[in-house]
Amino acid sequence: MRFLFKTDYDDDIRLFPHSGYVVSYGLLIAVLLIAPYVLSSYLMSQLVFVCIYATVGVALLILTGFTGQASLGHAAFLAIGAYTAAYLQKYNVPFPVYFLAAGLLTGLIGALVGFPALRLQGIYLVIATISFAFIVEEILARWESVTNGNEGMRIKTLSLLGVAVPRDSPAFYFLCLAVLVLTIVGTLNLLRSPTGRAFVAIRDSETAARSMGVNVALYKVKSFAISAAITGFAGVLFAHKLSFISPEMFTLQLSIEFIIVILIGGTFSLHGAVLGAIFIVMIDPFLTYLKDDMPGIIAGVAATFGAGAEAAANVQAKVAAFASLNGLKGAIYGVIIVLFVLFEPLGLYGRWLKIKLFFQLFPLYKRATFKRQKIYVKSERNR
Amino acid sequence: MSKSFLAFGLAAGAMVLTCLPAAAQTKVTNEGISANEIVIGTHQDLSGPIKGWGVPVSNGMKMALEEINTAGGINGRKIRLVVEDSGYDPKKAVLASQKLVERDKIFAMVGPMGSPTVLAAQDILFDAGVLQLFPLSSAEFTFKFDPSKPQERLKFSNLLPYVESTRAALKYMKETKNFTKPCIMYQDDEYGKNVLDGFNQQLEAMKVQPASITSYKRGVSDFSAQVAKMKSDGCDLVVLGTVIRETIGAMSEARKLGWDVTFLGATPTNVLEVPALGKEAVEGLYAASIFEIPYEDSAKGKVKEWLANYKKIFGIDANTQAIIGYNAMMTFAFYADKAGKDLTGQKMLDALESGDKFLDIFNSPPTTFSKTNHLANTITQVQQVKGGRWVLVKDNLMF
Repeated sequence: MRFLFKTDYDDDIRLFPHSGYVVSYGLLIAVLLIAPYVLSSYLMSQLVFVCIYATVGVALLILTGFTGQASLGHAAFLAIGAYTAAYLQKYNVPFPVYFLAAGLLTGLIGALVGFPALRLQGIYLVIATISFAFIVEEILARWESVTNGNEGMRIKTLSLLGVAVPRDSPAFYFLCLAVLVLTIVGTLNLLRSPTGRAFVAIRDSETAARSMGVNVALYKVKSFAISAAITGFAGVLFAHKLSFISPEMFTLQLSIEFIIVILIGGTFSLHGAVLGAIFIVMIDPFLTYLKDDMPGIIAGVAATFGAGAEAAANVQAKVAAFASLNGLKGAIYGVIIVLFVLFEPLGLYGRWLKIKLFFQLFPLYKRATFKRQKIYVKSERNR
Repeated sequence: MSKSFLAFGLAAGAMVLTCLPAAAQTKVTNEGISANEIVIGTHQDLSGPIKGWGVPVSNGMKMALEEINTAGGINGRKIRLVVEDSGYDPKKAVLASQKLVERDKIFAMVGPMGSPTVLAAQDILFDAGVLQLFPLSSAEFTFKFDPSKPQERLKFSNLLPYVESTRAALKYMKETKNFTKPCIMYQDDEYGKNVLDGFNQQLEAMKVQPASITSYKRGVSDFSAQVAKMKSDGCDLVVLGTVIRETIGAMSEARKLGWDVTFLGATPTNVLEVPALGKEAVEGLYAASIFEIPYEDSAKGKVKEWLANYKKIFGIDANTQAIIGYNAMMTFAFYADKAGKDLTGQKMLDALESGDKFLDIFNSPPTTFSKTNHLANTITQVQQVKGGRWVLVKDNLMF
């Protein structure tokens, strides 16, 4: 086990507390950089969606995980980003300009949503954000001169400085990866700044934060604006990846998916956003993979345990029929989420930390290490 | 090398480069064809908001597949169909299409479900040279293609577009009923918009002013406001851009108000569920339709057999959706057979564009494609609910 001796105040806020971080993240980046030259474009597409979802996840973490303001309206922010890109692209605005414009506009709208949210707490805030998402969906369907209504909009291939970047090319993946990495680094920086500390203070106790001199209203609006802006950036990439957008794609279900990203991943660390995005995007292809290959594998196992060729084929057909039942995938997906919420509220990243600590402290690990000990929250529980 | 020669060379090179794309051939894949198998794929909504379409369509496709394969396949090759569930989510449709192209190496995508899903995923197919055949969407992008983009030639549609069918049915109603104050109530989405476009275009062509235009949001079940408005506007014909529940809801509301008016539904209202669930409320409803809906007791010959067979396999009565799925697969099989024993992608494309007529067992209008037209036909019928059943009023309609 490694012991860190802090000799400087900066030790508390270093992005890489020790060399181990540099090595492991360096390796991760190297793997991610060579991935497009090794993996099929099917897997690459999944990685692109992971990057986009993780970017939204980080945005949502800033708002929900660190400022404590729940939102079920992030699909609307994504939509605003996507539609801004689609609209500006029609007028031949270059990518860097509409990318930034989408982020700015979404951030501005996020701030506007933040104002009424100042007076709302908990479940009422969730209801307000849901209504905001419905309003946006309605506007997208009605404002036909701009959004083309329910017919949706096509998005042309991304062109960066005159070079076409098709949505399945390595370059597009690198772009999405760069946006994600910049978002994460930016957020880490934000969190160790006074602003980030104010966010966390508001999450832990609004009353305590106010009495310490934090301008709660200002920081809540800031948190909304930053979170929305990042989601707007992700929306531009999302629009390019799908090459077509219509209002019915940005529904409540998508907002719920984003919340699930951070719930599954873990709401207390940025790792959670990435792990959650990997889970949400890849679970479906993974279940598809099982559906295709499990029957053959099970038949093989049956054959090795002495089943005849005919019996094995029979088993294979039965398993295949079961695996391709309509809605089975959705059911498995739902069960996994329920199990997570019940047994691992800290999410995938929380589980990883526990496993790591278990091996570091072996045989002295104690479960109580991860018990919640925030007694002061009790006084604010009923708000 | 002299300067002028260099300039000439550069100019010639530039010319060749600019001409290349125009002369480029459509790339069609030969993947998925082996000595005794053709692999094709589809993505359906089996668990999402339109699974009421996805499930019967995939049933119909599977049934067609069984028939083709038990009869010996296509020129000795059996068809293997890989079905993926998109849940009507464009993201999943994109991933499913990539999976089908890369892992399963499909030869063609047959009958994929939904407009946003098909549209988001189609470039993946075109880039890989995979044919996109007969998607379950009546939108224009499923058949309209830009001749300068060779890969777009890979799309074919055999569904009657809403705009054309609405126009044809409306024209027929004008000729026979001579209404003067037509109204429309449409669903607030892409489908409803198409019906509205058809309605507006035809009225303009006939120089009639619409008396009232109302819409509703998908999922609502109360239409009293819309119907009352149309009544007070004095409509004498109501066009319904609705699906099942809304058709019944709107007509029940009119009955409740004691309003006797003619209703004309777009093609999606022409399904068994409307008279079965609406009972007397939908009596007299006219609808634009593609083919005659078969009933088990009145069907003859092959259709009767088909209906019984479907019920035997899936345990439920066949509906329009199942027929559309069945036909998609049968149409694919017909043209794959025409393409000959040494099937290749190019031969399949040639067979599709050859103009050969495909006739189904349900007496639908014939399917033909040409090099410039990738939409099977625009021939519409008008049917009416009489005594709880759909009855053919007039066929072979065009606008």
